[in-house]
Amino acid sequence: MKRLVLALLAVCLLAVPAIAQEGFPLKGSWLGTWTGNKIHGNDVLLVLGWDGKNITGDINPGTDNIKVKNASLNPDGWVVHIEADAKDKAGQPLTYTIDGKIENLPLANRVVTGTWKDSRGNTGPFKIGRQ
Amino acid sequence: MALAIASASTFVLAHHEPLAKFDDKKPVRIRGVVTLVDWRNPHAHVFVNVAGTERVSNWAVELESPIDLEASGWARTDLRPGDKVAVEGIAARDGSRQIWAKSVVNAAGHELFAVHNTPPPMPLKDHPAPTWPDGQPRLGSSTGSGGEQGYWAFPSVRALVENGVNAPMDEWGLLKNIADAPKVAPMQPWALQLYKERQQRFLRDDPMYLNCKPPGGPRQFQLHGVQFVEDRVRQRIFVLIGSGNNNYRIIYTDGRSHEGQVGGDDMNPLFYGRAVGKWENGTLVVDTRGFNEDFWFTNGGLPHTDQLKLIERISRPNFDTLKYDLTVDDPGAYTRSWQATWTLRWVGGTQMPRHICQENRS
Repeated sequence: MKRLVLALLAVCLLAVPAIAQEGFPLKGSWLGTWTGNKIHGNDVLLVLGWDGKNITGDINPGTDNIKVKNASLNPDGWVVHIEADAKDKAGQPLTYTIDGKIENLPLANRVVTGTWKDSRGNTGPFKIGRQ
Repeated sequence: MALAIASASTFVLAHHEPLAKFDDKKPVRIRGVVTLVDWRNPHAHVFVNVAGTERVSNWAVELESPIDLEASGWARTDLRPGDKVAVEGIAARDGSRQIWAKSVVNAAGHELFAVHNTPPPMPLKDHPAPTWPDGQPRLGSSTGSGGEQGYWAFPSVRALVENGVNAPMDEWGLLKNIADAPKVAPMQPWALQLYKERQQRFLRDDPMYLNCKPPGGPRQFQLHGVQFVEDRVRQRIFVLIGSGNNNYRIIYTDGRSHEGQVGGDDMNPLFYGRAVGKWENGTLVVDTRGFNEDFWFTNGGLPHTDQLKLIERISRPNFDTLKYDLTVDDPGAYTRSWQATWTLRWVGGTQMPRHICQENRS
């Protein structure tokens, strides 16, 4: 069911042409994959905000509802770091850590590429694109 | 007439930043025969066949916009296919056979297509600003006895820079020295880095030129001119913008709040934000908020966020001068609020030039 919701969400988001966002580079909706994630699936959606001091947001809002606990953007290389506490299907806690870098920053189709890992040692490639 | 203007003027830049496309460190000269004059916005082009040692190559010589060329007295027929020309300029960054013209000289030795773009001379004595019957200054054109149509242009500062800062830049907001970037405004680290990268890309990503995005915020007062249309009955002021997508902005003076100005979607952030104004001792004080993040609010590419709030103080100290005082408050992009001030000149007796993005094909 979760995959279906994510897939429908992806279709809806992809139907909207990418619009350049000229403000804080991480702000907005990001859609992509954290490949090899057997707990929460390959598809991932991030909705990130910026209050002037902190990056806020959610991973897979509406399905997994994983709150971003800690996130940073280092403008020297546009290095992204995100931490979020989640629960698996059994309700056991795990923590995700995402490290990546913004590419194509000036363009509407900017992406973040890097890796994800969880507190159980699982890891894989991570890639999301700005919607 | 045109030659007289040409001899007294220099080439100035208009529309997109030429350095986004051309390299001022690559001077180039060509001589050849005109094959075509393409007199279209955003830039006119003259195509020239240049004889080489083995073959003839065709070069594209880029000029100012036809709007600016014609305002300086030039016409598309000033040069025709078959005419011989000598061109000096700077070469395209990508190595293609394109030149940004700094000088075009015909076979008779006359320089062509120089653009005359200077403000009208100030009168020797200040004339008082026109007023409404109740004594409130008129920001726009006035009608009736002694009235004059016109618009405001020729800003004394062409890009947003904090008051008191010395950071030389060209009229597009491109810094002469990138090391001055931190001085321009009190930017947060991410905003400074983004600003520097926009500068280092010669402003080529400017969405106003790439995608016809409106010049929201103070940028509308640093381009090709603005007009105020004061509707006192409906208590609102229209700011007509002679550039970008030729849009307009509404400043409400009827006492309404910032909310609910857009029917059906009143929380939707806008390119021009939501502006409410009131008069304070002859100065229009405008509080604008609710901006989106889809545009550059200044020449030169200073970033902003949707937390941007502007306080504009607009006054007309005399007939020919508009004073524009700005306070920028954007805790999403800047470390503190900051101010910038400039003036614009009244250009009377003429229509505002319409640099329309759609027609400019940009």
